[in-house]
Amino acid sequence: MKKWISYGVLCLLVPAVVLCGALLFPAKQYAWISFCVALLSCLPVFLQFEHKKVSTKRLILIASMTALSVLGRILFTPIPGFKPVTAMVVITALYFGSEAGFLTGSLSAVISNFWFGQGPWTPFQMFSWGILGMIAGLLAGPLKRSRILLAIYGALSGVLYSVLMDVWTVLWADGFFNLSRYFAALASALPFTAIYAVSNVIFLLLLCKPIGKILERVQTKYAL
Amino acid sequence: MKAFANVHPAVSMTYFLSVLLVSMFLSHPVLQAEALLGGILFCATLQKRGAALRDIGFYLPLFLMVAVTNPLFSHNGVTPLFFLNGNPVTLEAFLYGISLAVMVIGVLLWCKAYSEIMTSDKFLYLFGKAIPKLSLVLSMALRFIPAYLRQSRRVSRAQKAMGLYAGKNITDRVKNRMRVFAAMVSWSLENAMETSASMKARGYGKKGRTNFSLFRFRSADGVLLGVCVLLLAVPLVGAVAGITEFTYYPRVDNIETTPAALAVYTAFGLLSLLPFILEVKEALVWNYYRSKI
Repeated sequence: MKKWISYGVLCLLVPAVVLCGALLFPAKQYAWISFCVALLSCLPVFLQFEHKKVSTKRLILIASMTALSVLGRILFTPIPGFKPVTAMVVITALYFGSEAGFLTGSLSAVISNFWFGQGPWTPFQMFSWGILGMIAGLLAGPLKRSRILLAIYGALSGVLYSVLMDVWTVLWADGFFNLSRYFAALASALPFTAIYAVSNVIFLLLLCKPIGKILERVQTKYAL
Repeated sequence: MKAFANVHPAVSMTYFLSVLLVSMFLSHPVLQAEALLGGILFCATLQKRGAALRDIGFYLPLFLMVAVTNPLFSHNGVTPLFFLNGNPVTLEAFLYGISLAVMVIGVLLWCKAYSEIMTSDKFLYLFGKAIPKLSLVLSMALRFIPAYLRQSRRVSRAQKAMGLYAGKNITDRVKNRMRVFAAMVSWSLENAMETSASMKARGYGKKGRTNFSLFRFRSADGVLLGVCVLLLAVPLVGAVAGITEFTYYPRVDNIETTPAALAVYTAFGLLSLLPFILEVKEALVWNYYRSKI
């Protein structure tokens, strides 16, 4: 019952917030709407997680996978764009499911931005990393079986991350979706997109097997 | 000195959200300039002088970059300044670029102040009741990170002692970090499972858990909250009435100077200067008391 009430509130809240924003901020309405939608699209997963009965083990597991991916982002600070965050999120999703993947991705964004700077881009990063984790969780079977598919998923997720984040760049700069600027932003981000894709592939190929082994061992040892 | 850091978390959260809301979404040049000024003064009170100078070195180039790229991409507007590759570079696009840069830098500065003031224990105090599981995960992850950093330094020292040096070239450095990282993963997961067993043994999930930090809502906080809400309401009403509408294309609007518009500017100016005013007031009171000793 409680669950349905919160879903109902959410269903009403999204259009209400968007409408109010559009009335209040006519010049920036698209930026506002996308900001809210990015934030609110993370909410269903969060709410579901709050209402479910979750074991302490799983809670701490998500916390430590999040901390590890943030740690990875911090350890690799000297090499710009070359970060293991997406790889860690994908690995978490492969072994602990979509929900854990989404939570690890979105919480990593919030927490690592305490170090790398919070800003209006935080909800977009939360959503982007979260959704990459969620999709990986849904494709867990084939991705675990084939290393080639895993590498392809890594490369695609680097591109997808860049494409999603550039939507934010354009909306925030222009207040509406300026297609020519979007292409300019994509083009100027091309080196970074390439680094994201390559680093995802490298990290996934290097980390997936050893970390997967560790995770499987922990799963059997502690009956997760 | 941070006078604003001692305010109740609910009040400071409301304050930050209202300033960010107005400065991000009401694109009016006067309001944006006020937000930038408030952000600069607030950050100046929070930081040491050296850090502030380093920040100028970061924000000034960013400002110029944002301001200059807009006229290169956008050719709207009716007053061409000069032509570049056959495309007009217009005054309107140039001014819009400057206003964009003022907004971006202003919001960045406010986010910086937010991270200084809204520490994680304040965040958890506010949201711990509403989202208990997520805030537990958040707080544990936040606590794990410094612990993991410490442990990863230990692991790397141990590996060095075993003869696993990292050379100068990049593949070697990446390999070395990978090795440390893999060791960290297994250590942290084992550690996590022990933590969970210990939490279970100590009765986690039972009722009546208390907070680490206690914040009392004093009457001064109430006054501040009221002032903040009042000062936020004025620009929002102004936005609904269309006072804060400001367009750059095709021609730059004039800045309104009707009494209503002036009221909006004054209210938001006061709102964005509020922490600085508090800081100055505290400093004056402190000096006054010291002079009486």
